[in-house]
Amino acid sequence: MSDDDPDTERKPMSTTTDSPPTYGLEQASRSFGTGSARVVALDALDVTIERGEFVAVFGPSGSGKTTLLQLLGTLDRPTGGSVRFEGQPLERLGDSALADLRLRALGFVFQQFNLIPTLSAAENVEAALAPLATSRSERKATAKEHLDAIGLGPRAHHLPAQMSGGEQQRVAIARALARSPRVVLADEPTGNLDTRNGEMVMHLLARLHRELQITLVLVTHDEWIAERADRVLRLADGRLIDSSAQPVAEEEVP
Amino acid sequence: MFYIQYMWAEVRRRRGRTALTAFGLAVGVALVVTVGALSQGLDDAQDEVLEPLTGVGTDLSVSRPLLVRGDDDTAAAGAGDPFTQLSDEEQRLLEQENDNHDAAFNYSELGEPGEPFSTVSLLSSQLSFPSSDVTRIQGFDGVDAAAAGLTLRALRVEGEVPESGEVASPHGPGGGFEFSDQTISGVDVRNPGLAMVTPDQIVEGRYFSGTPEQTRGEAVIDLGYARQNGVGVGDTAVPAGEGEEFEVVGLARAPLGGQASQAYVELGRLQEVSDRPGRVNDIRVRADSVDSVAGLADRIETQVPGAEVVTAADLADRVGGSLADAENLSSTLGTALAIVALVAASLIAGLLTLSSVHKRTRELGTLKALGWRQRLVVRQVTGEALVQGALGGLLGAAIGIAGAAIIETVGPTLEASVEPPSDAVGTFGQGAINAGSTDVVLGAPVAAGLLLLAIGLALLGGLFAGAVGGLRAARLRPADALRSAE
Repeated sequence: MSDDDPDTERKPMSTTTDSPPTYGLEQASRSFGTGSARVVALDALDVTIERGEFVAVFGPSGSGKTTLLQLLGTLDRPTGGSVRFEGQPLERLGDSALADLRLRALGFVFQQFNLIPTLSAAENVEAALAPLATSRSERKATAKEHLDAIGLGPRAHHLPAQMSGGEQQRVAIARALARSPRVVLADEPTGNLDTRNGEMVMHLLARLHRELQITLVLVTHDEWIAERADRVLRLADGRLIDSSAQPVAEEEVP
Repeated sequence: MFYIQYMWAEVRRRRGRTALTAFGLAVGVALVVTVGALSQGLDDAQDEVLEPLTGVGTDLSVSRPLLVRGDDDTAAAGAGDPFTQLSDEEQRLLEQENDNHDAAFNYSELGEPGEPFSTVSLLSSQLSFPSSDVTRIQGFDGVDAAAAGLTLRALRVEGEVPESGEVASPHGPGGGFEFSDQTISGVDVRNPGLAMVTPDQIVEGRYFSGTPEQTRGEAVIDLGYARQNGVGVGDTAVPAGEGEEFEVVGLARAPLGGQASQAYVELGRLQEVSDRPGRVNDIRVRADSVDSVAGLADRIETQVPGAEVVTAADLADRVGGSLADAENLSSTLGTALAIVALVAASLIAGLLTLSSVHKRTRELGTLKALGWRQRLVVRQVTGEALVQGALGGLLGAAIGIAGAAIIETVGPTLEASVEPPSDAVGTFGQGAINAGSTDVVLGAPVAAGLLLLAIGLALLGGLFAGAVGGLRAARLRPADALRSAE
């Protein structure tokens, strides 16, 4: 698959029929508040995401994209239904077990980059490795390796404030990949970037997805980004209105 | 470890926040150190004043003061006076003592009318104890040592023998006679540390030479009296009257607030000269521990009839002046100020830490998204707060030491004054209370313990603020934390 060719046949890269999907959502709901102030952010979603699949979550602001990503990232818990990760129901796991799951299986890329401002690029990558029982030299070598892989080796000792938005987001991607996760969850990763940097970041994510065979779930409200995914989950008002593997048509964007 | 690297980066790269938090704590710590040092300086100043006052190791002074209404009405005790508890023998001795006091002289016995005369009467204006009471008190629980003393008023009357049959009272001036009054104390030279005059008080010459036998002819004279009357070491003194000569071996400085006599001689010799064998009127007691002083005072007052006990603490209460005012201020306002300052500083540091943690909520949420468990997040925030606490503690200690050094350099002078007892019940007849005032330079010594305490409190403040802030942030759901604005 080439990320420059959106017409290439879209299918999960490493789907197997005998292993559970990466995610299985059954009637998953998330609401906030109670009574008349209750707001339903996600309303009874049934979604399956296969291993190695590149899924774009597409929809307008307030459609529940980020809420869905937070459920998938175990950063939040559903108020109804269930979310399974690789067949395991997440609602049965405690906070520490969820933290361990995030540590070993998930990587995050945020719209605001969420780099720690007082740490250098290399140290930010190391922060993702800190809870693991790795030596200092091993940690530093891993951080360097990932920064080199995205072409930021020379900027390893710069603080986030000393880097451009594109560079910061690439550091965030290096951080997400430092622990070799099985899933990368990206919340509007190009939202704070200009077109050139956004293109660069998307190119990088698509390449890493292809080369590392990770499951990539990407939230966006940009059509051109969604077109790169294997499949698009289209949300509106917290409901799944489409999960086709077809490219998203321009007129469907509200 | 990465956590230390991260902690150091936070402290180093958020300089403003670190400095503000550390400075908030430093102000509190500095106040604690300075006020503590000042308080210690005041204690030292008071000790300096009280040390000679309380004597070397004397914890209690036991006497039997009389109720005195006036010069012409001696030994008049009203109903309920303690002397009714005395034994017959004691009553007899009291009468004997009062007989002596009230004795009128038949001057015709002093010589032919018109002849000059000089006579000294050794009068006791208070009740005395038998020497056996000293031994008895020595046997009380909590007593380390006890020493006896006898203080008498030496009333010297000089003039010409009046016509036969004339009678004059020795108590007041009049009748063409010259009266002079001084006090003389008998010293238990076997217990110099507890004696009426101690070796430390000697400013010229020497102390009594040794055993009672060796010192029978020796006298120590009060420095002020010696200067007024031109008495020097090596002179011969007759404080107890003609025919009773003593060699002046030393001059002693009366302690401020202490009981001072003009002359000190060996106890046995004074008892002999005054015809008071086996009688003492001042017993000085050293307790075996500070804790036993109060109980011991009660026991002596209960078990020794008529005894009044004055403790070192009672003596300390006599000290007034700016030193006492400052000491009172220090012990009340100073402690309160230190506590308020530290609490305020801890609150400020705590609020700054909480505010800082609040601002970093999204950062901490990111750490949780990266797989950091709650305890790791709390550890990180607490560690940073501890470092800030340590910085604040060290900075505050430095400022506090500087403040104390300024006080030491300026060296303000405080006055310690002692007023004689103003009520009717006093130690009349005993060595007079040495009223007056003295200046003492105020220092501000900084003890290592005080520094450790202040730094420890700063660390505790940091630990508390960090733990509370960290726990608060770490308990947030990662999704909520990530939604927080920077």
